[in-house]
Amino acid sequence: MARLIRTEKEVEGRFEEVWIVVEEDPLEQWPEGPLSVVGRDAPRQDGSLRVRGEARYTADIKLPGMLHAAVLRSPHAHARVQRIDLAPALALPGVRAAIGPGEANGLEEEAGWAGAPVAAVAADTFAQARAAVEAVDVEWEELEVVLDPEDAVRRGLVTGEARRSERGDVDRAFAEADVIVEGTYRTQTVLHNSLETHQAICEWQGDTLHVYISTQYIWGIRQEVAETLGMPEDKVRVVCEFMGGGFGAKNSPDEYTFAAAELARRTGRPVRCALTRHEEHTSAGNRNSTIQRLRAAARSDGTILALEGEFFNSVGWSGWSSPTEGPMRALYACDNVRTVTHAAKLNAPPMKAFRAPGFAEGTFGLECLIEDLAARLEIDPLELRRSNYAESNEGTPYSSKNLEECYRLAEPHWERRHEVRARSDAVWKRGVGMASQIWYGGGGPPSYAWVRLGSDGRATVITAMQDIGTGTRTAMAQIAAEELRVPLEKVDVVLGDSARGPYASISAGSSTTPSMGPAVRAAAADAREQIEDIAEQRGLPKNTPVEEVVGLLEEAQILGKGARGPNPTGMSVLTFGVHVVEVAVDVETGEVRVERVAAIHDVGRIINPLGASSQVEGGVIQGIGHTLSEERLLDPETGRVLTTSLDAYRMPTIADVPEIVCEFVDKPDEHLTNLGSKGLGEPPIVPIAAAIANAIRDATGAEVHELPISREEMLRALEAAKEKERRGAPAAV
Amino acid sequence: MELLRPSSVEELDGGVPVHGGTEVVPLLREGLLAAETLVDVRGLVPRGTRDGVIGAGTTLAELEVDPSIPSALREACRLAASPQLRNMGSLGGNLLQATRCWYWRLGYPCRLHGGDRCHARDGEHREHAIFANGFCASAHPSDVAAALVALGARLRTNRRELAIEELYRLPDEDDRRTTTLEDGELILEVELPSVQASVYLKAMDRRRWSFPQVGVAAARVGSETRIALAGVAPIPWRIESAEDLDKVTPLPRTEWKVPLAQALVRRALAAVD
Repeated sequence: MARLIRTEKEVEGRFEEVWIVVEEDPLEQWPEGPLSVVGRDAPRQDGSLRVRGEARYTADIKLPGMLHAAVLRSPHAHARVQRIDLAPALALPGVRAAIGPGEANGLEEEAGWAGAPVAAVAADTFAQARAAVEAVDVEWEELEVVLDPEDAVRRGLVTGEARRSERGDVDRAFAEADVIVEGTYRTQTVLHNSLETHQAICEWQGDTLHVYISTQYIWGIRQEVAETLGMPEDKVRVVCEFMGGGFGAKNSPDEYTFAAAELARRTGRPVRCALTRHEEHTSAGNRNSTIQRLRAAARSDGTILALEGEFFNSVGWSGWSSPTEGPMRALYACDNVRTVTHAAKLNAPPMKAFRAPGFAEGTFGLECLIEDLAARLEIDPLELRRSNYAESNEGTPYSSKNLEECYRLAEPHWERRHEVRARSDAVWKRGVGMASQIWYGGGGPPSYAWVRLGSDGRATVITAMQDIGTGTRTAMAQIAAEELRVPLEKVDVVLGDSARGPYASISAGSSTTPSMGPAVRAAAADAREQIEDIAEQRGLPKNTPVEEVVGLLEEAQILGKGARGPNPTGMSVLTFGVHVVEVAVDVETGEVRVERVAAIHDVGRIINPLGASSQVEGGVIQGIGHTLSEERLLDPETGRVLTTSLDAYRMPTIADVPEIVCEFVDKPDEHLTNLGSKGLGEPPIVPIAAAIANAIRDATGAEVHELPISREEMLRALEAAKEKERRGAPAAV
Repeated sequence: MELLRPSSVEELDGGVPVHGGTEVVPLLREGLLAAETLVDVRGLVPRGTRDGVIGAGTTLAELEVDPSIPSALREACRLAASPQLRNMGSLGGNLLQATRCWYWRLGYPCRLHGGDRCHARDGEHREHAIFANGFCASAHPSDVAAALVALGARLRTNRRELAIEELYRLPDEDDRRTTTLEDGELILEVELPSVQASVYLKAMDRRRWSFPQVGVAAARVGSETRIALAGVAPIPWRIESAEDLDKVTPLPRTEWKVPLAQALVRRALAAVD
């Protein structure tokens, strides 16, 4: 039965109070451990489609008569359009329509960063559209460019008020401490670089707008497009069957969708607007850079007395201020914590959520600081982390927390440090480091699924969710197969189309499995109960196989429906983990090699261990790029992006990937839904940077304070460590 | 655009020569190179190795597994680019690569583009030069060129024979080019002297598919030990000895390349000793 509740909704660490209708979740959780299908390795159901090139991504869709759009972008980091003339573009061959500032959402007169969208053109070919964009005549008034975040905050140039939090008496705790450590940590701007660039195709059929889009949130696109265009939501159909990655940057429609919709309306033809790789680097979002000034106070027995942090988020021209202070507030038991987080408004490309926004950055600073504290206290870093274990989230009980178990699983990996260090030689120094992980990932209502069974004994799960490439189809099929007690190969999953299924969750904030999984199980249970009912009426034994019962149906079908129940009230639903990393550092050339990563995570019940380990590997590899080689650079004079290509912006190659050992606590969260599963998309990127930095420190004594740990930063830190040693203070090896 | 496929060097008449296309095609796509006519020179440039003479049309992939060539060249090929690019890219084309300087690539009106300032010097220059960077701070990207300079290679073109060092020139106020190759001139063959020992060491910011932050080639040729560097000057840069690294003129954010170059030169010299 449905009921109305007031609940706190969380996405990517942003909370809001909302009234929602939720349905009861009366199903009991399955017993712990691997079941018949759930908890066992299942290869991706769509794997062969993808590798054979048969999966149809948005980039593959070619509609009859489709036009191609290109976007005119500001060459200036801050400027206003004084005059714009689209006529020269319209006069070029193949050009069908052109729109300027104010004619589609996102096209604006004031450009707040180099790459801001200003106008758009649709033509028969993409090359014609590009040539036409070049021909648009614009007179710009150039405005002041602000790129320094601390300068911006001083001058009050912010995207919002500073966020402050305080508990206990921080000043007194620092005054009474035996040991105080402090440090300034910086993290860089990095790019999502999804394989498939941001893109949409819009087509009008009567008064209905069909939007084919590479997105993480089909229903969010539907809502935002309908609201912006003043249409009923049911007149907007959104389709995304396969997508080539999002990582947080594809939660909203943005200018490319609105431009395509308007150009399609004007021309009466389908219009595709796809960003180029260059635009992907200038105008599609990023993980913002941060500056973190941190302090910690402790007693000599290792008790953390106080933590304090001032954080600067370089949000860019727009966007939101991610919870960089989150790990400092939540990871350790500490009575006295004070944080302030500034949101600098700069003439730089706007941030977008990027895999654990704020926490990936904040964990680097905090966990390097804790390592520093361990060195000062001469306490084993694992021991220090254990002795400051948080038993509640600032007083709120956890729905489940098995970080202690993660630490126990980490022990054998941590023990390897003696043997790893012993393999050092004069040039290559080896060491082991660790860092803990905390993040959200509980998902929430609403989300719905249907299950249909026919007399052929096959089941189809229907829900208008998206699979952003994480193996969602397979996990949902496993849950349905388990509940229906049918083999996995008898379950199909239909998703990716708002016209072909009920509302489904956003795939962000590690929420897909914990939001959708319980709804799919509930729908399958509804179907199973109907089947048992039929069996009973036919006088068949209760355990009669499903195929046998539905075999009696002829044209009739069993239709089950399910909804995601509420999250537990008065509890914090969080994910936990720890990484133990082994590195080798060439102390003469500053080369850093990550040789082994043990990634241990507590995310409740694991649905598909094979898919889960893929998620962890992906997070670790993306995190290695964040830690060692990736950085988006701006020209300090013009504010333009300099790293616009994949040779200037360096992501890890397969040769950079170390041995990755994945382990899961795999214990259902008894308070969370009928599954007890949390999300795993983001946790594996959270601790990797700090764990690498701490391993470098273990290997060499060098303290790195900046990401990426380029050769420049590594050689600087090695030199500083040598200098420290020369001055007599022993480097912390 | 037209594509010509002449059957002899004599038929060459203008146009932009293209061999593997790994350099020319991206430059055309980015609008950094304008061409009405492309000339496919694969039929004109010799391919393969014999008696210490390497056809300039030999691919990097062929050279990286060729036991008859010195290890500095083999390593320089193996550590360059990606397998796909090495399958296409030719030895001659590799020597003529344009810089990866982002200001040049993005079309800033810099000195290499005929402008009146070097944007990198005042701007973002962490990947740039530590030698000869007063006029233009770009860094030469070719691993193979540094290896050939250290090896003392000679080039034969359709017009002349020259030492590889004569192929390169520093850009200046009057002439912004970084090579001396004339219009219509094609590199046909590369001749290597007999070498006792050679090595190429390369620092990258990831394990593969990266241009050199610093590349160091060293070769023992007769009684002489020759050292050349990639990624440190607008052209491949020869130094006489390790002490020459004291004469660097790094920019604020390229200072880190100096200890890196020193370490690699030390190792390279030890390897050929």
